[in-house]
Amino acid sequence: MRQRISVWAVAFLLLSPASLVWAHHSPSAIFDMSTRISVTGTLTKIDWINPHIVLAMDAKGDGGTIEHWTFESNPPSWYRSVGLARADFAKAIGQTITVEGVRARDRTPFGYMQKIVLPDGTSLELINSADPK
Amino acid sequence: MLKRRLTSFACAALLPAIALAQQAHPDLSGVWSYAIDRAPAALKKDVNGVVTIQKIDQSARHGDATSVAGALPSTPRPSYKPEHLAKVKDLFDHESKVDPVFYCGRPGVPRIGSPRKIVQLLNETIFFYEDISGDPYRIIPTDGRAHRANANPSHYGDSVGRWEGRVFVVDARNFVDDTWFGEDGYFHSPEMRVIERLWMVGENLVWQATVEDPVVLTAPWVMPPRLIRPSKESLEESPKCVETDGHKLLNDDHHLQR
Repeated sequence: MRQRISVWAVAFLLLSPASLVWAHHSPSAIFDMSTRISVTGTLTKIDWINPHIVLAMDAKGDGGTIEHWTFESNPPSWYRSVGLARADFAKAIGQTITVEGVRARDRTPFGYMQKIVLPDGTSLELINSADPK
Repeated sequence: MLKRRLTSFACAALLPAIALAQQAHPDLSGVWSYAIDRAPAALKKDVNGVVTIQKIDQSARHGDATSVAGALPSTPRPSYKPEHLAKVKDLFDHESKVDPVFYCGRPGVPRIGSPRKIVQLLNETIFFYEDISGDPYRIIPTDGRAHRANANPSHYGDSVGRWEGRVFVVDARNFVDDTWFGEDGYFHSPEMRVIERLWMVGENLVWQATVEDPVVLTAPWVMPPRLIRPSKESLEESPKCVETDGHKLLNDDHHLQR
């Protein structure tokens, strides 16, 4: 199930630095930063690789067909620094998750994950951090 | 018996000398925070309504142009010779698509930043790094030897170290020329030489690099120093790097990294 997020979320993103999506490449060169999407489906794979971790999931599209989505996110070292490991995601393989993020400009089922809700209801979200510099 | 006593006496005599040598310089050994630009985000975790915010240490994300005790006067960017300005601009304009680092390339020195871990021994100091391209190390002799005459050019160069008072000075040269020394298209020639200076300010480490390249620069570039906090986060093998985004770039918007 895919849906667009409410106006507040879009406003939040517009007001936030684009760098919320880590800039291995410029996020705006790949992703449509103006619209936040939400995708609910079955987590099928988690690749713990650089420069981004990658999640694969199957979700029902508008016509009921299965869409194979891929979301990348921050690098493994960042997740390690905030206390998360591959196992924290891998335990949800085969189960239903919801991912929020921004979608690729080329409209392929590819996005940048900014939030994930795991099967037990735990949510993990990337938010702006106060940078002292 | 006499031989054993002489050996014991020699050891007893040497131990204070070794200890003195080890104490003669500040000990830079330890694990240090990342001094590169990292994802500027925190993690908000919600478990059964209990919300926690986990931030990462980004204090050394950028060079510190303000007063850092002992720092050399620095400038925010290098000064290229006029005949190279067009190339720098072209690389800058297309950095997202041509920067080697963004395709799992090795950043080299000084772009990799300060070491994540330092092991300071009597005759050598070892720098360990974590990077998306892999986890390089540098073994830096401090026994007064010269640079290796037969070393192959490399991304991290051939280094020797020395102490200037309380400052550890690393002289690295013999680089391959396919790295950038800064994200804004700062290319260099094989003649590049990098001088890194490391010292302690309180419990923190300071790292400041100077890039010399008489082929492309009008003068050595003294980079702003980075003030780096000690870290409790141990090093871990970096997962392999697999770049898949390059073909999805639809414009030349810049990245925002180191």
